[in-house]
Amino acid sequence: MQVGAGVYFVFVAAVFLLYWLSWAATGSRIVRLAVVLAANYLFCAHFGLFYVLLIPVCSTADFLVGLGLAHFQRPWLRRLLVGFSVALNVALLAASRHMGVLLKGWDWIFPLGVSFYTFQSLTYTIDLYRRDGEPTTSLLTYLTSASFFPTLQAGPITRLTDLVKQFTAAPALRREDGGRAFFLIGLGLLKKSLIADYLGQSLVNRVFDTPNLYSGVEALAAVYAYSLQLYFDFSGYTDIARGVGMLLGIKLPINFDHPYQSTNLTEFWRRWHITFSNWLREYLYFSLPGKRTKAMPYLNLVITMVLGGLWHGVTWTFAIWGLLHGVALAATHGFRSWRGRPKPVSGWKRAALIFATYQFVCLTWLFFRSGSLATAWAMLQRIGSLTAGFDNLSAPLLGVMLLAAAALFVSKQWYSRIAEGFARSPSYVHAMALFLVALALELLGGKGNAPFVYSRF
Amino acid sequence: MRSFPLQTTLTIGVLGLSLAAAHAVRPNLMGPEPDQAIALVDFDPARVPMIPMLRHEEPDPGTTVGSDLQSPLLDDGHGVLDHFYAALWGAEKGSSVVRVVHYGDSPTTADLITGDVRAMLQKRYGSAGHGFVLIAKPWAWYQHAGVELSASGWEIAPATQFQARDGMFGLGGVSFTGGTGAHSHIAFQDRRHTTFAVWFLRQPGGGVFTVEADGAPIGRMDTGGVSKMATRATFHAANGAAALDLRVEEGPVRIFGVSAERPGPGVIYDSLGLNGASITVLSRMFNADHWAAELRQRDPQLVIINYGTNEADFTAFIHKQYEGELREAIRRVRAALPDASILVMSPMDRGYRTGPEEIQTMPNIPVIVGIQRRVARDTGCGFFDTFDAMGGDGTMARWYAAQPRLVSGDFIHPTPQGGKLVAAIFAREIGFGLNRFKLRQMLLTSAKPAVR
Repeated sequence: MQVGAGVYFVFVAAVFLLYWLSWAATGSRIVRLAVVLAANYLFCAHFGLFYVLLIPVCSTADFLVGLGLAHFQRPWLRRLLVGFSVALNVALLAASRHMGVLLKGWDWIFPLGVSFYTFQSLTYTIDLYRRDGEPTTSLLTYLTSASFFPTLQAGPITRLTDLVKQFTAAPALRREDGGRAFFLIGLGLLKKSLIADYLGQSLVNRVFDTPNLYSGVEALAAVYAYSLQLYFDFSGYTDIARGVGMLLGIKLPINFDHPYQSTNLTEFWRRWHITFSNWLREYLYFSLPGKRTKAMPYLNLVITMVLGGLWHGVTWTFAIWGLLHGVALAATHGFRSWRGRPKPVSGWKRAALIFATYQFVCLTWLFFRSGSLATAWAMLQRIGSLTAGFDNLSAPLLGVMLLAAAALFVSKQWYSRIAEGFARSPSYVHAMALFLVALALELLGGKGNAPFVYSRF
Repeated sequence: MRSFPLQTTLTIGVLGLSLAAAHAVRPNLMGPEPDQAIALVDFDPARVPMIPMLRHEEPDPGTTVGSDLQSPLLDDGHGVLDHFYAALWGAEKGSSVVRVVHYGDSPTTADLITGDVRAMLQKRYGSAGHGFVLIAKPWAWYQHAGVELSASGWEIAPATQFQARDGMFGLGGVSFTGGTGAHSHIAFQDRRHTTFAVWFLRQPGGGVFTVEADGAPIGRMDTGGVSKMATRATFHAANGAAALDLRVEEGPVRIFGVSAERPGPGVIYDSLGLNGASITVLSRMFNADHWAAELRQRDPQLVIINYGTNEADFTAFIHKQYEGELREAIRRVRAALPDASILVMSPMDRGYRTGPEEIQTMPNIPVIVGIQRRVARDTGCGFFDTFDAMGGDGTMARWYAAQPRLVSGDFIHPTPQGGKLVAAIFAREIGFGLNRFKLRQMLLTSAKPAVR
């Protein structure tokens, strides 16, 4: 059951009805949460029946660790408990990716990546270890929060203590909240189908698979197109996830905040995949030793980003992606501690900084997207060949790229105005707008959506 | 206070009804269907694994290798490829040079498959040089394995664009017209090439070009003539050379390509790819007499005709015209080279997306393969079933899901790994074919009465 597919929305509609009907009829938190928990496990089961055993077992273990951390005060015991939780989740993450190499004659399969699940689970036990959150004593609330289905495939990574709090509180859904949810879902679908999938199928996938079949200009265009594809694919997914969460009265955090408007790399990581970069900072970077030394924080930054890269996959290209970001971030921080925090800039200087940051990010995307070093090298060679062939850059493709690039620069104020205007409009406007979105997808979108890029991580 | 979000529920209800109404009016529009509700509780074990492990199943080599006497992939019955096999056997024994010309579309343009076939055959039967190569890149992705090409000043006319109205596109399907100063630099990885032939058009008012090998002048040619006539000028670099420089001293000069050879025995495999080409390039766009003259000059033992992928978009053309065009292309080759073997090589599988994570074979591909097989049999040509060799129906879905990926995201072009896979099967089938030929020759020899 792919997020964004027709079946997924039938599923969401069914969960929505059962959830609110059970709440209105019984007023029972237990019944309401049981509906969500059943939905979570039904969602997981569609990827593999083994998830229905695996996830509750691992979640229960983390829940018990949480109870232990709330109860015990001895440092060594708390360290032991959190160490167990970290080991469990890291082992689950590693096994889901790499156990296959140990199994001769078998294929090890995890159609639903569990990395976002493990990241969320670790926020709970590490927060409790740091006494930075309230534990729950309700197993049902914990299980429901840990496997909340809109976030399972690709986030946004939400602090479980926050989710637990939201699930514990009495839910409410005003008409405006419903409107906001519909706005996010519609926008997410348009981003995914009309921009990300189109760019992926029309140019990016082909060029990165066989770079030697394309000119230097086309290869360069494919890198830029990939930067747009990735943004619209992933932010589209996040919009849908946040919209679905909102329909159940749960507010999920934002993941993207106009990242390609960043004037430097530090700012980029505050705006791109925000929940992941926050997670890396809070739970990995701050856990590394040597915070008070001069050099270690820079080295830790590089280590954090390389590990962040390797999380996407243990390949040289992801390692280089992480390394480039890590070194550039360390250099940015080093420059700041030497010259002081730069003053805000505007006008041409700001445009030049945005342009330079975007170029660097695109260079790193080239490694991120290439399946191997050979492909990355071939792409660089094609771009370096400076050959001008435009056969694969059709007018519709360039039009979509320009439209997507323009959409990146819609100001926050404008976005908020449009979103709020839609949210406050009557219900029939919501329904008709979504109907038009569905028609647009049907008439303009390609046949069959590709899976979300981040759903494989 | 317990509240029920009535308005939001109504929105969902109205949306569902609107979609259902649209679906009822236009059934091809997506709408809520009972199947979707059923799918929510459908846990078919084939799709939803019980455990995170699946037994890995290796394909049965017996079903694809075709190691029995008559191959299911390479149809060379009735001795249709014997002329080629005899030459190949000669190369194997160290007594002859065997030339293959391979006409194809975009993968051939980038020397995908053909580059690997060349390497495999030359490794097995010896190399007599790289063969024919264009003198500039008509498409940015034009390339040959082991050759680097840079050029300037040429006006390029590929047969697929039909800019050269006289239909004279040379052996390789591309005509290059250069004014004074036009230049090409061709660097071969193999430094042992001793003979370079420049394929050009002698024509009234034709200019002059010069040739250098590794920087040393080896020839000068005046292309002037009383009428248009395709020819070639051969130049020698006794000690072997790796780089060839072609320069127009006085324009205009019209050139079709360069061939590089070295002392045999061995294989020369000309990869002649035209981007976006279909069979009509050979049956219509090439000037028949001019092309025949070029083929005779090249004198190959095997001509491979490898089109079909681009035709798959045009259903009416396939059903009404395709067979006739293929027969005409074969007739033209046969008229030019009555003794040469001809091999029709089917297109690869070609896929298209039909749903989330669903990629299917374009229905026209098996139709084209069927027509090609029948025409090849009728006209005394060999036939290689690339489509079946890859795995037949649904291959592109499997190849796209493979790690590493074997086909590009357009579900048409193989990745280098995919190309190598096809090349390996093709080269292996050629080897099996040669073995069958040898066996037949031995049986014939042993059946002859002894001479007293």
